Amino acid sequence: MSWKNIKLVFMREVRDQLRDRRTLFMITILPLLLYPMLGLGVVQMMLTFSEQQRIVVILNADDLPESPALLDKNGIHPDWYDNGKRDTSRLRILAERAGGRVPADDGDLLTQAPSIESNSPEYRQHRRGGKTDAELLIAAHHLADQIKSRPAAKDPVVGSSDIATSQAAVDQTETELEDLITERFGESGFQVLVVIPKGYREAMKSVQDQIKARSEGTETGHMQIVSVPPIVIVRNSADDKSNVAFIRIQKAFSNWEDAVRRYSFENASLPIELEHPAQLTYVEVAREEQVAASVWSKMFPALLVIMALTGAFYPAIDLGAGEKERGTMETLLISPARRVELVLGKFLTIMLFSVATAVLNLMSMGLTGQQMASGIGRGVADSVSLEFPGFEPLMWMVILLLPLSALFSSLCLALATFARSTKEGQYYLTPLLMVVMGLTMFCLSPAVEMTPLYSVIPVVNVTLLLKGLLLNAPGSANLVVYAVPVLISSIGYSMLSLWWAIELYNSEDVLFREAEKFDLRLWFRQMLRTKDAVPAFPEAVFCFILILMLQFVAMKYLTTDLNAPDPGSGMMRLIVVQQLAMIACPAVFMGLLLTTSLRATFRLRMPSLTAMAIGVGLAVVAHPLSMELSRFLVEYQVFPELPESARQVMDLMKTGDRPTWLLLLVFAVTPAICEELAFRGFILSGLARGGRLAIAVGISSVMFGIIHMIPQQAFNAALLGLVLGLLAIYSRSLFPAMAFHFCNNALATFYSTEASQFKTDGVFFSRHADGQLGYEAPLLILCGTVGILLIIHMIKVITKEQDLKRRGLIPAYNESTHP
Amino acid sequence: MIRVQGLYKEFADPRAGIFRALDNVSFEVKPGEIYGLLGPNGAGKTTCLRILSTVLRPTRGVAEVDGINVVQDPEGVRGRIGFMSCNTGIYDRMTAREMVEYYGRLYGIPEDKLQRRIDEIFDILQMHEIGDRLGGKMSTGMKQKVSIARTIVHDPPVIIFDEPTSGLDVLVARAVLKAVAALRDQGKCIIFSTHIMREVEKLCDRIAVIHRGKILAEGTLPELADRYQQPDVEELFFDLVQRRDDEVAEEQKNSGAEVLP
Repeated sequence: MSWKNIKLVFMREVRDQLRDRRTLFMITILPLLLYPMLGLGVVQMMLTFSEQQRIVVILNADDLPESPALLDKNGIHPDWYDNGKRDTSRLRILAERAGGRVPADDGDLLTQAPSIESNSPEYRQHRRGGKTDAELLIAAHHLADQIKSRPAAKDPVVGSSDIATSQAAVDQTETELEDLITERFGESGFQVLVVIPKGYREAMKSVQDQIKARSEGTETGHMQIVSVPPIVIVRNSADDKSNVAFIRIQKAFSNWEDAVRRYSFENASLPIELEHPAQLTYVEVAREEQVAASVWSKMFPALLVIMALTGAFYPAIDLGAGEKERGTMETLLISPARRVELVLGKFLTIMLFSVATAVLNLMSMGLTGQQMASGIGRGVADSVSLEFPGFEPLMWMVILLLPLSALFSSLCLALATFARSTKEGQYYLTPLLMVVMGLTMFCLSPAVEMTPLYSVIPVVNVTLLLKGLLLNAPGSANLVVYAVPVLISSIGYSMLSLWWAIELYNSEDVLFREAEKFDLRLWFRQMLRTKDAVPAFPEAVFCFILILMLQFVAMKYLTTDLNAPDPGSGMMRLIVVQQLAMIACPAVFMGLLLTTSLRATFRLRMPSLTAMAIGVGLAVVAHPLSMELSRFLVEYQVFPELPESARQVMDLMKTGDRPTWLLLLVFAVTPAICEELAFRGFILSGLARGGRLAIAVGISSVMFGIIHMIPQQAFNAALLGLVLGLLAIYSRSLFPAMAFHFCNNALATFYSTEASQFKTDGVFFSRHADGQLGYEAPLLILCGTVGILLIIHMIKVITKEQDLKRRGLIPAYNESTHP
Repeated sequence: MIRVQGLYKEFADPRAGIFRALDNVSFEVKPGEIYGLLGPNGAGKTTCLRILSTVLRPTRGVAEVDGINVVQDPEGVRGRIGFMSCNTGIYDRMTAREMVEYYGRLYGIPEDKLQRRIDEIFDILQMHEIGDRLGGKMSTGMKQKVSIARTIVHDPPVIIFDEPTSGLDVLVARAVLKAVAALRDQGKCIIFSTHIMREVEKLCDRIAVIHRGKILAEGTLPELADRYQQPDVEELFFDLVQRRDDEVAEEQKNSGAEVLP
């Protein structure tokens, strides 16, 4: 690999992109202009924006108490609104005075219409398509009547011979009536209707008088219960306009109600503290820059992720698929530069643009925000200060942007190389963006905080770390520790996708893929026809995805009712079904369909006795190590504890006198057979086909981990998956892996059921605080040494065999069977 | 210089299962010689030349350039060949000089030597006036000149032309053919593939007629005329192609179309 060539390719690609006016515009001009323009636009909008008035009709307003008065001559008194004058102008209150009923006959309503008070007289005339106040009132009365008649309809019809029929009929009229009310309300032209009940003022007055009389001791007899009829407020919460008006009215009424209560107390010379027996005072300790930080800490990580991705995507499409489309790919491929050099040169170019896009966008956006906050938009943003984050958080942003950009750049380059044309490349953006946005949104939730597990999940790790650092909350300095795993894992993921891109450059099918019509039938036939002894790489990956999908689909059906008489055995049955149907079946079925040799695919060869012994021995030494490791990881909060439901299920299965053979069948025999057939059988054979054994074992163990779902189990399974993969390749047989798997699971089962009765000696075995059996350091060291020796032995044998194969001394057993 | 021995290339094909693009192809080309690959479209010419240029890997067989195996040391091979085809485009947003410089640098030519070499090539191909023009603004003829300049900038001993004249007008095609002939006179080892008989007659020292992945006949033009009693190249070509088509039809009838060559 020559850095000179990488630099040459890099310089050329950068120059090429910079000469492309579109790229230049997208990356530099657009952010520099877009945000100030957007900011200006927002300010303009806010200046010209005025919320439309909503209409509220108050029927029978005369029956409201005079003091405290809810209404003044312009509608609801501004004191009752939370926002005073501003809300007054947003609601138009139509209060019906002088109690008269509006006749149902529309003919002469104008002469008989009661007097109406409204806070905006100009609306009395016909508005565009609007209704006159009189029309609104008529509609309000109709509606009020219908609402009043509603509860009456609910009473069952007395004296009906057939109760069921009549009930059905009542139900029907009721629904019809409700539909009618909803419809009428929609047509009415107002958004909220308030009905003050008849005699409200008198009822209220008499209650207040009674309280007064009692507190002054002038009346000693029994209190006369006066029922104050309720004020009815009608709204349609499915309609935004109605809802907005309702919320304001509700606030106003609630404030007014407080005043009425206060008035009653004052009137009766009762202490005012009665109103609020518990006084709540709030003290804000966040400093202003922290409030600002919290705004940025939510916005910046999300923006950084999106900008880094889009900034990488478009240049990547041009450098990958664009090069194919313009016919310069072959020219480049026949140059003496190595594929690695080409890919790295292109990768660095894309990364440069990704970083530049993100930085420019954020800078422009931050400056615009600051400008808006300090200048024109003062009134808008006085509650949140948009002070730019300080130097240190900014530095962290740049540092964390690099691994993020690297990951996106390498991923985009690989996708762009895979695409036949720029058009196909564009199609990949949406799913990529969806996944990345999903991960980012997850991180923005305030409840999600950095954990060791999250620090190795791509995108999530960077976003969470950045969020924490920008938030600048107490204790956020501890987060810096996470920078190490975040950077290392991000670099790891970038390397993986870079490796994928290099593989693609080495693959002639991808580089010379012609855009041909895709025919599903032909493709399927081709797949069946070109069967080999062992599955192909994509077939193995597909098998894994199939297993994963089946698990996902079946999740709903694979839960037992914990309240059933014997949930434990139900659960055990489900485990067996799940193992057989969702893990073993897909693998065996695909093996039958897509390969010519089940023996080669599923490694059904007789293993040597040594291999079997190594399998069993490794399981025995791995058990204490994996148990103590799990305990350690949970203790140090690397992984969350088992979810409550999972623990319950486990406890359930433990309790009850189940025969040992049943436990072993469910927890050891079935998984050993089913999971090995799938993961060390079909999947590992397919993955290992290219001869890259280490990568195949690695990928298959990650896959094996993923289907275990619960994080700590997944981690454990992935580690054991490495050993299992090694065993299968070393012995060229599935049986030692099965033996290992069986022993491992059987020991774990005994550990949870029997080991609490085990006698401890304090040297090798001890007892943990929770009563579980503990393994002490001497035993762990012993097990570790034996395990490592066995693993080294296997790796040695495998490498020797590989070497012989490479030199052609023994035939590679997974060679294609093409004629 | 070029040695191809028992070369096979198979592609997966949705319809036929496996498509054999090259079927036991063998030939040798010596320095100072233009070897013509004559065949209809889809005969396997491009596949064969792409294997020689290392962008495709052979399924079986040996291909060597200057004694170097294309599978074992592809970078070494690429450094010793110049390759030009209708698929080797030039960048739209690079000038002629930048384009040639870029490839010259990738070949690792020292900077001062590279500049001298470029001036020399630009003299020969008379392309000084397009030196500063962007690829996107060039005519097809100009682009072809840039391609030739790129192909020979590192003075390779072996040059492969894959239908270099396809899509060119008569004048440009003539210029290209002259350039190829001049390269032969410098002692280069040249493979030239085409489906145009006139070019073969004018240019090639030896030819191979290739059809459906198989070499049907090989030799100098007089030899072939003599062997097949057919003085006219065009007639000779049609005879050979027709005979091969008949053979394949016969094979298919017998074997039930297991493998379509």
